[in-house]
Amino acid sequence: MIELENLTKRYGDVDVVSDVSMQIQPGSFTVVVGQSGSGKSTLLRMVNRLVEPTAGRVLIDGRDVASLPGPTLRRGIGYAIQGHGLFPHRTVAQNIATVPTLLGWPKAKIRARVAELLEALQLDPGQFAAKYPDELSGGEQQRVGVARALAAGPNILLMDEPFGALDPIIRVKAQDDVKAIQRRFETTILLVTHDMEEAFHLGDAIAVMSGGKLQQYGSPEDLLLRPANDYVSRLIGSSDRALRALSLKTARDAAESGDTDGLFPIAPDANLRDALAELIWRGADAAAVSGEAGTPPRRLSLRRILALGRGA
Amino acid sequence: MSTMALAPRVVALVLLLAFLLAPQFFAPVFAPLTHNGAPPIYTQASLLDLAIAHLELVALATVGSAVVAIALGVLVTRRAGAEFLPLSRAIVNIGQTFPPVAVLAVAAPLVGFGQAPTLIALFVYGLLPIFENTLSGLQQVSAAVVESAKGAGMGGLQRLVKIELPLAAPQILEGVRLSTVIAIGTATIGSTVAAKGLGEVIIAGLLSDNTAFILQGGLVVGVMAVLIYDAMTALERIVLRRRGVRR
Ligand SMILES: Nc1ncnc2c1ncn2[C@@H]1O[C@H](COP(=O)(O)OP(=O)(O)O)[C@@H](O)[C@H]1O
Ligand SMILES: [Mg+2]
Repeated sequence: MIELENLTKRYGDVDVVSDVSMQIQPGSFTVVVGQSGSGKSTLLRMVNRLVEPTAGRVLIDGRDVASLPGPTLRRGIGYAIQGHGLFPHRTVAQNIATVPTLLGWPKAKIRARVAELLEALQLDPGQFAAKYPDELSGGEQQRVGVARALAAGPNILLMDEPFGALDPIIRVKAQDDVKAIQRRFETTILLVTHDMEEAFHLGDAIAVMSGGKLQQYGSPEDLLLRPANDYVSRLIGSSDRALRALSLKTARDAAESGDTDGLFPIAPDANLRDALAELIWRGADAAAVSGEAGTPPRRLSLRRILALGRGA
Repeated sequence: MSTMALAPRVVALVLLLAFLLAPQFFAPVFAPLTHNGAPPIYTQASLLDLAIAHLELVALATVGSAVVAIALGVLVTRRAGAEFLPLSRAIVNIGQTFPPVAVLAVAAPLVGFGQAPTLIALFVYGLLPIFENTLSGLQQVSAAVVESAKGAGMGGLQRLVKIELPLAAPQILEGVRLSTVIAIGTATIGSTVAAKGLGEVIIAGLLSDNTAFILQGGLVVGVMAVLIYDAMTALERIVLRRRGVRR
């Protein structure tokens, strides 16, 4: 667990991060979102002590990060930033090996780890290991940046606008890859972005920052359904709030028992936004959601989806 | 380097060595430039010895300039040394604007005649190109790269040695190359304070109104400068390629 306790960073007489306290659950994907200049990067950089707090402290698994020398601390925490920051004079394999090399791992172990990570990020080791960063596409560079950050198997990965330099189509793919990686390695990810869409797409928990202050910290549903203040509701936007809320619920959650004869089937994991689109597209009033093993299928009606959407 | 580019350099090198080893062989070439039966080839001292002494002086001075200028460039780009940047710039700039002849005039009475004042003049004069190139080379390393190195847990020295200096190397070495070439030319003035070097030949030519001497001294210096510049460029490319900085 990462605990931020009354964290403050002052430059001159401005608090760019002001008395922020929050607890980040192990294995969660937590997103800090806010406009440019709201203090997100500064907050993130206090976790691995690239910035020293003016007041307050950061605990990782109960231990104050200030008790370790900065470089030692940082070798144990992954860090990936916008524009990847790959070392241009080092090959992909050498870049990924940065932290393991600093930690003095044996060569064979490093080589195996590099191959494992390249494969996990869908980069063929034979093809990519010996390449230099400028020989890669933007999406590939970004993935190598993530692989480098994960190389020594850190429990925590800090990411500062890691997808900022990617074009929209690659970005969604990159986001999904990171999410898959997070599940596979069970890493706690703390990611900073100015993009609300990205926050909702990735976050199990979302922290909204403005003017250095934490405006709200909670689950995506919390933010949508119970915004803490006007700032948060404005930031989230009201126009497609209902649809956003629907996209957070699954067909399984909303299905009711009832007659399913002749209805077209819909997967229990489908979110309600997609289910709604499917119903409109097919001109149907209801669909059948298959039950858990042995239980009969249940009914998901248009009326039910609309009712849930209105609740938002 | 292609054969086309290499061929004239090989020819120049062969001619230079031939001239330094057996200058009398070239007497007919320079004879038309003399009058009243003056000697066409300088014989007061071995041209080879003079050339070697000349290059020793240049090498010593440039190594000194490089060590000091690179160290200074590194210092003022560290957070702790940033406040010395304007001061270092000023000092190094003065070194460059102060004419080497004036440095000789000031230094000779203090350290005596010969190599020493010449070394000082060349050293001071060679600082600026290396310092400025070190500075811009280091400042040019992308902020994201430095940030990543910090984030990966590299200490200050590791960052400098493994990341910043290699990435700034092309520019730093360019500065060293520039200073070397400037020093090869400038070292000729050392002969005015009795430093052994090729300036001796040129000055002898000026004093005795012998164009052949002036020309042969000038040619040897010029050809050496061009060849050494090219050799350093080629060597640099090999080293940088091996370290992944250039491909
Ligand atoms: N080293 C620094 N010195 C002075 N001001 C800084 C420094 N770093 C950041 N700031 C200021 O702090 C504010 C927050 O910066 P930052 O944390 O980078 O915001 P964000 O990542 O949300 O865009 C900005 O106004 C920025 O100019
Ligand atoms: Mg930022």
